[in-house]
Amino acid sequence: MPIIETRDLRKVFRSVKRAPGPIGALRTLFSREYVERAAVEGVTMSLEAGELVGYIGPNGAGKSTTIKMLTGILVPTSGMIEVAGLVPYADRRRNARNIGVVFGQRSQLYWDLPLIESFELLRAIYSVAPDRYRQNLAEFTELLEMSDFLTTPVRQLSLGQRMRGDFAAAMLHDPRIVYLDEPTIGLDVLAKEAIRTFIARVNEQRGTTFILTTHDLADVERLCRRIVLIDKGTLIYDGEIERIKEQYGTHRTLVVEFSEHYPEIAVEGAELESRTGDLVRLRFDRKTISADQLIRRVTESYCVSDVSIEEPELESIIRRIYVEGYADPGVKAPAPALT
Amino acid sequence: MTTSGSTGASIRVRVGHYLEPYVEFARKAFAREATYRVEVFTNVGSLILRVYLLRSLWTALYSQNAAPLNIPLHAMITYATVALLMSLILEIDGTRAIRERIREGSIATDLMKPIVLPFYFFSDGFGQTVFHAMMIVPSLALALLLVHVDVPSFPVCVAFALSFTIGYLVNFLLNFLMNTVAFWTLETFAVQLMIRWASDLLGGQLIPLDFFPGFFGQLVEGLPFAAIYSTPLRIYIGELPPSAWLGAMSVQVMWLALFGAFATAIWRLAERRVVVQGG
Repeated sequence: MPIIETRDLRKVFRSVKRAPGPIGALRTLFSREYVERAAVEGVTMSLEAGELVGYIGPNGAGKSTTIKMLTGILVPTSGMIEVAGLVPYADRRRNARNIGVVFGQRSQLYWDLPLIESFELLRAIYSVAPDRYRQNLAEFTELLEMSDFLTTPVRQLSLGQRMRGDFAAAMLHDPRIVYLDEPTIGLDVLAKEAIRTFIARVNEQRGTTFILTTHDLADVERLCRRIVLIDKGTLIYDGEIERIKEQYGTHRTLVVEFSEHYPEIAVEGAELESRTGDLVRLRFDRKTISADQLIRRVTESYCVSDVSIEEPELESIIRRIYVEGYADPGVKAPAPALT
Repeated sequence: MTTSGSTGASIRVRVGHYLEPYVEFARKAFAREATYRVEVFTNVGSLILRVYLLRSLWTALYSQNAAPLNIPLHAMITYATVALLMSLILEIDGTRAIRERIREGSIATDLMKPIVLPFYFFSDGFGQTVFHAMMIVPSLALALLLVHVDVPSFPVCVAFALSFTIGYLVNFLLNFLMNTVAFWTLETFAVQLMIRWASDLLGGQLIPLDFFPGFFGQLVEGLPFAAIYSTPLRIYIGELPPSAWLGAMSVQVMWLALFGAFATAIWRLAERRVVVQGG
């Protein structure tokens, strides 16, 4: 049984249409014309417990609207939604006990109080058993290396420390599902890595289900096997990352360093992508030529000191999907719900 | 007997379980207030100054016009001082956080918690209140060196405390209503300031309501603001005899019930607005 399920989920926002100019402003006071805007238009998806799914889309695609409906603070216009057996908007407070949320741009910690006091407050809010609380606190303090700043007021913490605190805060009550919204925004490389390691570990050891919304696709690539792509309120892809990579990322780049200087370089089956001195990047399609063949062709005609192959990044693939749209006769998007 | 005892205990446990977050909110608010130490000292200082100024003002006024409306000078100074001490508690507005959280958008994350938000704001404000109420004790001690304040008999003190508690709740609901309006219009500060002034003047914090002439006097007595300051104060200075206590407090309770119903309705609407339109 899936832990999160939505079917034909829609959310339409209605706002008052404003006519331009002072007369128009006056007119909107009396006559009300509404404009409707669909933020989410028929999203069907299903997540199994323990999955770690990347929920990806450009700004305004409907990501946060979906998350708000999953947390129960937004009522869908139509469609079915169920989270851990509950309808979130109908049972908001009970649903709240099953979920945790981390917002990269918004802290849920008490600004003026030491970090530990926020944790104690959350213990009371979720009525976590004292033993369980101590155990979780000890574990998270170690995993997130928080012991140095547990008693520091939150306003004095660095962004990286605050984010670690927010992660612990979201998970002290053992939520079954955690929604992450841009959890690594603004963090340096080391802090990002610490957060990613923590997510992967909690997912693996506790079987916590994660939905990760982010613009940093490196997060997704590092953590998720499955991604759900959304654009203009509609699902455009739901499946494994590997599959779209295979499908869209058929090109590779062969980076060659020549040991001699050649004024002109041409290799059949590959095109010159860029050149800086004797370092040359050759782009090829692995469906027409294998890397092995290409390397042989290069070494037959030139003296080479070093070669390496680069795979395309998820980011460039996804950018292409947004521009061209996703089309694959073999895969249906959205994927049918598991039964 | 044993069965009823154990059900009693289990109900107590359940209630305790349910109340725990709110007790904790109040404790955190208390701790938070205590972190601003400088503010505490300036508050105590300004209070003593204000008590002294009030005494000087009323003494000067009385030297021109002896005992208007049969309120003797010592009763007037008592009235003014007690009103000032009450304002230390009543001016704390825990519900101001509603407006701030709506503006910041963090009201959305608050709604993702398994708590009843209006209770959260009440407990937070209550925690602040308790802290400031404790500050009243040293302030009062110092103030008594400057002015003489009448201390009434024990039953009067109890009636005052009861009436003040109702007034406190009416005041909370008034603040709550004003701040909840921020769900519709983000800017409520000007309106709030006006209502705050109106409640100070028309509620009897600045001058006793008896000073208002004729019809106007009757009007202000009928306003909800009187339930906040005027009723407890009139009990304190003995203007209301014990026979009038029940009637006066019933009026207070009526305002409390009315505001409570109104606040519940407004909050439901506000919540619906958030969950339907996304804030």
